[in-house]
Amino acid sequence: MPDLLAASAATWRDRADDPPVLPPELTVVPTHAPWRVRVAALRTRHRVRRERAERVYAESRNPARGWPVADERAVVRFLASLVRRRRRSFTAMVLLNGLAAVAALVVPRLLGELIDRVAAGSGGTGLASLALVIVAVVVGQASFTFAGQVTSTLFGQNLLASMREYVVDRILQLPLSRVEGASTGDLVTRVTRDVATMSRAIQFGVPTAVITLLTVVLSVGAMLSNSVLLALPALLLISPSVVQVRRYLRRAATCYIAEGATYSRINSTLTETVEGARTVEALGLAGRRLRAQEDDIAASAQAERYGMTLRNLLFAVIDLTFNTPRVVTVLVGAWGYWHGQLTLGQITAAVLYVEALSGPLDRLVGEVDRLQVGAASTARLLGIAAVPPDRQPGTDVPTGRELVGDDLRFAYRPGHDVLHGVDFRPRVGERLAVVGPSGSGKSTLGRLLAGINQPRTGSVRVGGVELFSLPLEQLREEVALVTQEHHVFVGSVRDNIVLGREAAGDEAVWRALGAVGSADWVHRLPDGLDTRVGSGNLALTPAQAQQVAMARLVIADPHTLVLDEATSLIDPRTARALEGSVNALLDGRTVVAIAHRLHTAHDADRIAVVIDGRIVELGSHEELVALDGEYAELWRAWTS
Amino acid sequence: MRDFPPRVTVFHTLPAETSTPAPDLRSPARFLLWQMRQQAPVVASSGLVGVLWQLPLTVGPWIVGRAVDRGLIAGSTTATLQWTGLLLLVTVVGAVFGIAMHTLVVRSWLIALYGTTLLVTRKAVQLGHLLPRRTPTGEVLSVASGDADEFGGLTEVTARALSQLVAYLGVATIVLLTSPALGLMVLAAAPILVGVALPLLRPLHRRQESERQRTSTLTSLATDIVAGLRILRGIGGESTFGRNYARQSQLTRRAGVSAGMWQAAIESVGVLMSGCFLVLLMYAGTRAVESGSLTVGELVSFLGYGLFMVGPIQTFFEFVQKLTRALVSARKAVTALETSPPWRAPAVPAALPDPAERADLVDEASGFVARAGLLTVVVSSVPESSAALADRLGRWFTADEEPPALLEPAGRRRLRRGRVERAARREQLAARDDVRAAQPWGVAYGGVDLARVPLEEVRRRILVSDTGSQLFAGSLQDAVDPLGVLTREQAEQALRTAAAEDVYDALAGGWGGELEERGRGLSGGQRQRVVLARALAADPEVLVLVEPTSAVDAHTEARIAQRLAAHRRDRTTVVTTVSPLWLHHADRVVLLSGGRVVAEGSHQELLAGEPRYREVVVRAPEDSYV
Repeated sequence: MPDLLAASAATWRDRADDPPVLPPELTVVPTHAPWRVRVAALRTRHRVRRERAERVYAESRNPARGWPVADERAVVRFLASLVRRRRRSFTAMVLLNGLAAVAALVVPRLLGELIDRVAAGSGGTGLASLALVIVAVVVGQASFTFAGQVTSTLFGQNLLASMREYVVDRILQLPLSRVEGASTGDLVTRVTRDVATMSRAIQFGVPTAVITLLTVVLSVGAMLSNSVLLALPALLLISPSVVQVRRYLRRAATCYIAEGATYSRINSTLTETVEGARTVEALGLAGRRLRAQEDDIAASAQAERYGMTLRNLLFAVIDLTFNTPRVVTVLVGAWGYWHGQLTLGQITAAVLYVEALSGPLDRLVGEVDRLQVGAASTARLLGIAAVPPDRQPGTDVPTGRELVGDDLRFAYRPGHDVLHGVDFRPRVGERLAVVGPSGSGKSTLGRLLAGINQPRTGSVRVGGVELFSLPLEQLREEVALVTQEHHVFVGSVRDNIVLGREAAGDEAVWRALGAVGSADWVHRLPDGLDTRVGSGNLALTPAQAQQVAMARLVIADPHTLVLDEATSLIDPRTARALEGSVNALLDGRTVVAIAHRLHTAHDADRIAVVIDGRIVELGSHEELVALDGEYAELWRAWTS
Repeated sequence: MRDFPPRVTVFHTLPAETSTPAPDLRSPARFLLWQMRQQAPVVASSGLVGVLWQLPLTVGPWIVGRAVDRGLIAGSTTATLQWTGLLLLVTVVGAVFGIAMHTLVVRSWLIALYGTTLLVTRKAVQLGHLLPRRTPTGEVLSVASGDADEFGGLTEVTARALSQLVAYLGVATIVLLTSPALGLMVLAAAPILVGVALPLLRPLHRRQESERQRTSTLTSLATDIVAGLRILRGIGGESTFGRNYARQSQLTRRAGVSAGMWQAAIESVGVLMSGCFLVLLMYAGTRAVESGSLTVGELVSFLGYGLFMVGPIQTFFEFVQKLTRALVSARKAVTALETSPPWRAPAVPAALPDPAERADLVDEASGFVARAGLLTVVVSSVPESSAALADRLGRWFTADEEPPALLEPAGRRRLRRGRVERAARREQLAARDDVRAAQPWGVAYGGVDLARVPLEEVRRRILVSDTGSQLFAGSLQDAVDPLGVLTREQAEQALRTAAAEDVYDALAGGWGGELEERGRGLSGGQRQRVVLARALAADPEVLVLVEPTSAVDAHTEARIAQRLAAHRRDRTTVVTTVSPLWLHHADRVVLLSGGRVVAEGSHQELLAGEPRYREVVVRAPEDSYV
């Protein structure tokens, strides 16, 4: 065996060389220096923080581990296609909200009218009727607001429901080889946190963005129609803020995603500390864990400071550009009023418009983080859809049950073969145990035989047909890999059993339950097969859960089972209690058992010893003991 | 003034640190008050700064009115310039203090947020292995991830409410001085406008609650699908569970639409009410102008104020709402933080024997003796009883010693009773801890009972690696050498003994290869071997390993047993297992039955002379399923 630690010296790091958690630019803050130096230091800090945020953002867009992330264009394309499919409700939403905004903009004009009449001393005449007109407009505004909001809700909720159903649908189509290989942690995060942030963005962010845009555009129109003279200087003052707002929007995405990442880190560090509390105590790691938590928080504080500075820069510009127009409006208004160009009513209306403009913009700034984070989450969700399928199903139909593996080689990393040309032919109906040290490739062999991965060279065939080219439904009837089967799904008992043949009737389900010896306790359940089980419902005992898992396999009825003892349902400790169920499952099937316990091997028809990616011994227990090789040595150690 | 991140060192203070003040945990309200007091200067100054930030809103309309009256209508250029100049000044002041306000509010928010997270971390470290027994870990974690944010939100809304209160009083003075009748109308209208929406809020909240519940059901369905994805893709069932999800998704959609309808109703009622109020104000104002009791400019100011007043009232309601939520969160925080450790420092600490003395470790309850310098293997047909022995040897509380953590009773009515029960239980626990701390532990090392020695000393000398041992996210090097004290050769040696070289090889980057949280991504066997390597690398005087190779195949197990025996030569080592592959390498084998040592000797001796031993170790073939 080659020395796997040969390169150890090259990867071992000296802790003394570890860089500090934060670069000195961020931690050394000059406090008693001239203001020039301090401003320069502040600018440097802002730049360093931006670079840090951009790094985190880039990593989140291109994760080294886990599932891929879609690019921005894909997100936009996908959303556009969803909107196109709901063109009518989208139009209704824009129209109704637009009408509400228009009604809201009519009110200041009418109020200005009123002021004019008062100023002209003719307030009395028609005051009541003008008031009634305003009331009518207000009622209209309220009704349009209601209708507009309802259509936004309907639109948003429909969009959201199709999005999440699409995502789950795609998850259910992920290629088998990826599902078996990757950890599901990343997927869990996506279906929980990412779906939640996407929901918030779609429910609140999208309607707010639409309404804000409408209001801003219509307000500008209303201001111009009120008085071009008053509107132009105000709009000229406001326009530079567009640059700053756009700049902010661009930066905010990286900022909020970086902030979010720091909070995930804080939480996962704390979760590890809490869940591993005993380990921390045993190894005296308290100081380390506290430091790690403080470091995470220090990094988070820097991300927060970056966001704070970004917002401050934005607020400075917005507060000035949106409030100074009021000053200019009064000044220009005075000039126009004295020259007979403007009425007091127009000035009042203009002041009200200017004041009303900053409201929706503030709201948009408040929503923008939600939208940005939502867009990033959507990109991660759509990334799941971008996983390419791992197999091209053919049309050939197997003509027998014999499983044949020839010249199998496989590598997880290019150039690192874990199997070196293995030939493997379990006989139909036999129990074949595979033993060998960890890292020898026996689990990989199991995965190839179950049709989960495609060998790099050679082939696994069943009944003469390449296993990997079978449609999944067909493959499941031939061979199943038995791992982690103790999972009980949220749903009815029936849902939990019919997986393999979803069309199976109750009779078949009861037969399967009977075969594994579970019919009795299922009969006693309050609603029989319809009883809800799984997380949050009726809890099954571990033994019951295992029986359900076995009934699943009985219904699926593959002729060959690959059992990986390291992860499989068959726990030696409960095996005795479930012996009958297990035998019912295994009877009449070809079984390849990747064995950890030598008892398993001892009782098998044949045993294959895998070492370093090669089968070095193959035969019955007696034959191998007589051969006096690897297996015999182990067996002696076990039994003597 | 404090800044973020705050320094929190209470509960578990490291040698080089000084402890920060302990939080007031007598009641949720006191806890919130304590948090506010901790950063009183920050909250107070943000309230003050907030008043100045609001200036354009509070005095702006008044200045505009003055400019109209004194400048425009009077035809005075000087007055116009003076008043608009003032308006400009107020605008700039508002903008500058807006930034200051934002900076301070973020600061107070984050001090509360980070501070709470740090409190929870320190508490977790202080309680150690007793934490999950005394408080549900989910609750503890949610204090840091959810409740901490509520505390931050409370500091923010407090500052805003303070500044709005001042603004409200200022505007009230202005409008009442200008026109008592209209002023009263403006002041009275604001609470009415907000109050009208209140009865609609209850049905809205009910619907939002139902939406939240359906959403959480939906999320757990999705999590469930992902958790069982291997089965769904391996065996089938995609369409059943896809359909279940779609059904729940549609239910959630409907709940969301229903909540949205109420939200829309509330918003449009708000629009209607404030619009009508504006008309009323206008109508009365016009009449007042006609009768000469109000100027046109003053009417213009009133228009500006008409809607401003809604802001402070809404802030007030927001404050009450967030305070209620923060109180609920504070109750959770208090529950999580008030748990205290059971250990009491010995009055007269004794010292454990010098390592050179080669002392034995003796457990009174079972009669077990770990002889100095030997590899002892403990065999029992009941794995729990060997695990309990291992726990006792290292002075750990065994699983059955603690009753399950008390959960908060649900419902408001049971709240008071819950509080009383909790207090009673807390006292009961503390009393029991006192009694227990005064008694000997029952395990003696070189004749010194472990209860007489400071706990840190016990932990440093005796390492128990149980089956729940966890890996942390970080590099492989950090996993094997978490304290950063090993040489590379020592770490390599540990990895070889634990037969974990393949983990090194499998990770891209060798020692620098990153492990995920809790070692996720490694197989169970790989995880177990890295844990073993870490325990070996720690090189404790006494090493107790509980089922160290239960997830490892026979080949590797044999290799580990052989290497470990050599690695720990002349060091006291205890291994609990029933695998024959270990027993060959044991210096001594001890058989436990009914929690007592019933036989001891070498593997061969026991095989030959002890039928009970044979029964446990050489299991009947029907034990296997193939």
